[in-house]
Amino acid sequence: MVAIDSKVIERKAESILEAPRPKGHRVSRGYRVFQVFNGIILTIVVVVTLYPFVNIVARSFSEEGYIRSGQVNLIPKGFNITTYRIVASDPTFWVNYRNTVVYTVVATVIAMFMTTTYAYVLSKKHLRGRGLLIGLAVFTMFFSGGLIPHYVLITSLGMKNTIWAIVLPNAISVFNLLVMKAFFESLPVELEEAAAVDGMSTYGILWKIVLPLSKAVIATMVLFYAVSFWNSWFSAFLYMDRIDLFPVTVYLRNLIAGATGASQTGGVTSDDVTAAAANIQSVTMVLTTVPILLVYPFIQKYFVSGVMLGAVKG
Amino acid sequence: MFNRPWRRAAIAAVGVLTLALTACSSGESNEGEDLSANRAGAMEKYAVGDQFKATEPLNFTILYNNHPNYQLKEDWLFWKELKDRTNVTFTPTAVPLSDYEQKRSLIIGAGDAPFIIPKTYPGQEGPFVASGAVLPVSDYLDLMPHFKDKIAKWNLQGDLNTLRQEDGKFYLLPGVHENVWIDYSVAIRTDILEKLNLKVPGTWDEFYNVLKAMKAAYPNQYPFSDRWSKPTPGGALFNVMGSTFGAPGGWGYNNATWDDKAKKFVFTGAMNEYKAMLQFLNKLVKEGLMDPESFTQADDAATQKFTSGKSFVISTNAQTLINEYRPGLAKTDPAAKVVKIPVPVGPAGDVKAGSRLENGVLISKKARDSKNFVAMMQFIDWLWYSDKGQEFAKWGVEGVTYTKDASGKRKLAADVNVVGLNPSGTKHLQKDFGFFNGVFAYGGTSELLQSFFSEEEQVFQKAMNAKKTLPLPPPRPFNADEREQANLWETPLKDYVMQQTLQFILGQRDFSQWDAYLGELKTKNMTQYIDLVNKAHERYKSKHGG
Repeated sequence: MVAIDSKVIERKAESILEAPRPKGHRVSRGYRVFQVFNGIILTIVVVVTLYPFVNIVARSFSEEGYIRSGQVNLIPKGFNITTYRIVASDPTFWVNYRNTVVYTVVATVIAMFMTTTYAYVLSKKHLRGRGLLIGLAVFTMFFSGGLIPHYVLITSLGMKNTIWAIVLPNAISVFNLLVMKAFFESLPVELEEAAAVDGMSTYGILWKIVLPLSKAVIATMVLFYAVSFWNSWFSAFLYMDRIDLFPVTVYLRNLIAGATGASQTGGVTSDDVTAAAANIQSVTMVLTTVPILLVYPFIQKYFVSGVMLGAVKG
Repeated sequence: MFNRPWRRAAIAAVGVLTLALTACSSGESNEGEDLSANRAGAMEKYAVGDQFKATEPLNFTILYNNHPNYQLKEDWLFWKELKDRTNVTFTPTAVPLSDYEQKRSLIIGAGDAPFIIPKTYPGQEGPFVASGAVLPVSDYLDLMPHFKDKIAKWNLQGDLNTLRQEDGKFYLLPGVHENVWIDYSVAIRTDILEKLNLKVPGTWDEFYNVLKAMKAAYPNQYPFSDRWSKPTPGGALFNVMGSTFGAPGGWGYNNATWDDKAKKFVFTGAMNEYKAMLQFLNKLVKEGLMDPESFTQADDAATQKFTSGKSFVISTNAQTLINEYRPGLAKTDPAAKVVKIPVPVGPAGDVKAGSRLENGVLISKKARDSKNFVAMMQFIDWLWYSDKGQEFAKWGVEGVTYTKDASGKRKLAADVNVVGLNPSGTKHLQKDFGFFNGVFAYGGTSELLQSFFSEEEQVFQKAMNAKKTLPLPPPRPFNADEREQANLWETPLKDYVMQQTLQFILGQRDFSQWDAYLGELKTKNMTQYIDLVNKAHERYKSKHGG
């Protein structure tokens, strides 16, 4: 019963998105022109988005000299994997990589728990003080304490140099919270009422009725959170004092910004040689981006319907 | 449920604030102050030539700038050997190089800074001085015999004066060089010079003639296309060229330039010397000798023009020459040859300008209350300023990372490599041993600095050292009110000069309008600004002399 319901909802979303045109209707000229232009524009967008990435991949397999003289575009020149071997042999890179995986998983689990429970509570219109709870969350979207008070807070709580400094302060993204709240509100109240009449507890309803119906939004939120935690570097940069605690994004940022920034300000001295090989940057970028890219195709079908469902109620 | 942690945090925050405030208001005078409670671990007698060794094991906290090319490792020989020699260990707070400055501000602002804060460039200490978070190190030079020795021996007083704040003290322990060290110049394709039967230009006029000859032979190309124009247009070129014209621009641009004849400060962008440089550059652009994109393009674009043979001249430093231009050119034209030429001579004569100060060390004010304070200052003096300490930080351990022959010339050990000096070496002086580390090694004698240069770079340095060094401007520290006022004027003035600089060079504005331009500067408070600078200078002079 429950399973069927969630399928129905999903299918409805897909149908909104794909909008197959009704059979037997003739396609107007205007529509065809639109489709052609649409196709062209979207192709351009694809090329523009894809090109830098393909270029990075090509650079990562190319020889240094060709990169310096700007000869590498879409296809690697002077193909080699030496740099991959160099990066892979740097233990710091893998330690940081492992940190990223751990931080992302733990942070996503915590964030999902916090966001789901908070959003579910907020979706109940009969809850007293609901306005205040929403206000508390939304308030943080507009105001924050500022960097130094934040730093002092985390430090005084003893969370510096622990995983908690990264996973706790960002556990609730207000945007995600509101999307999820909207989704829960869109679920038919009757379902929960029926379950309650049958004697189910509040937690039972959430766990056995609501969540199974919310796979789409949950998958979306997991993706949102996971990607943002994977890419984040700032809290780690602020609260971690040891390089064996850094995530790989800090490693990568240091490699790229460090190398280019120094040559820009002219602050390089030969004591402090910054010659990060051009393709070490690209290799590291590829290695850092690929895993999270691989997650996309598997979640995408939920992803699309999830966003739709949050947006279009009813 | 959430109440208690929040309250605790609030109390903690207030506590920190109070601490910070009390730190600000604590005493100012340090003359002849009592350090007897701060001597734990310090050496009784410590003088020039002595090896510092703490009398008990000590540990100091340090802000560590983590370089991506040699990530911090705990098993470096550097740490072990340092402990053996000085009895000191470090607790580093590792900060990625990419965002070092941000973290430094944050951590000092939050009152959580380590005792030793290296890699701070002259001028960057300003905000921390104002907040009272860092120590006026000039009060404690008596604890630092090697530093004092170098100041006397190399006549560094003038350089140090540029660091002095309004109270006459300085707060940064800078890295000090024996000589002004010029790294940037222009690179020229010498194979093209040979082909066209030209000499390496020694003056800017000869430089112009060389470009002209190149243009005649390759009429469809711009012989000179420059880089380092983002974010400051002509960052390297205007700086290098401006020094030889008598008015540094680009990275070296400062609204106020010291006029040694008139004994006062004048506005740089309004100087005739500055105008002369713009006229020269305008000539290059007008005659098609210099790519007009030079002042706006990204470094990569300029480098690619150079390495693909579309241009023959570009700004360079020692590293880019070897790491970027040569490998790139080798792929497109194996016969190409490129060298960094000594900076051509300009109207100001055969001179070079610059400071002998480099990035240095700040000390947290709270370190003063540590019982190990004296030992810490002695230790810093040994590692950063003694010949032995500098040699150790750069070259490492004799017999392990390097060898010394009878004449005292150092050579990397057979299996050790760094900056491509010993390509057959399998171990890396920085990555595997932790020496030659930007955090610990800077400044020093010319001999030590150049011991790591390639032959051709040593030739360049010799040519540059032969040039006369211009005197440095005298100190002109603002007080708090003046600084606030000056900040309001400085940026608009500088931005306007940069913008008009390009207009004049590119020919979008004719030099007949120079006077109109000066008038526009006046409406942007140029005169008031220069008066303010001269007032600050006069006040400093009457208060502290010099």
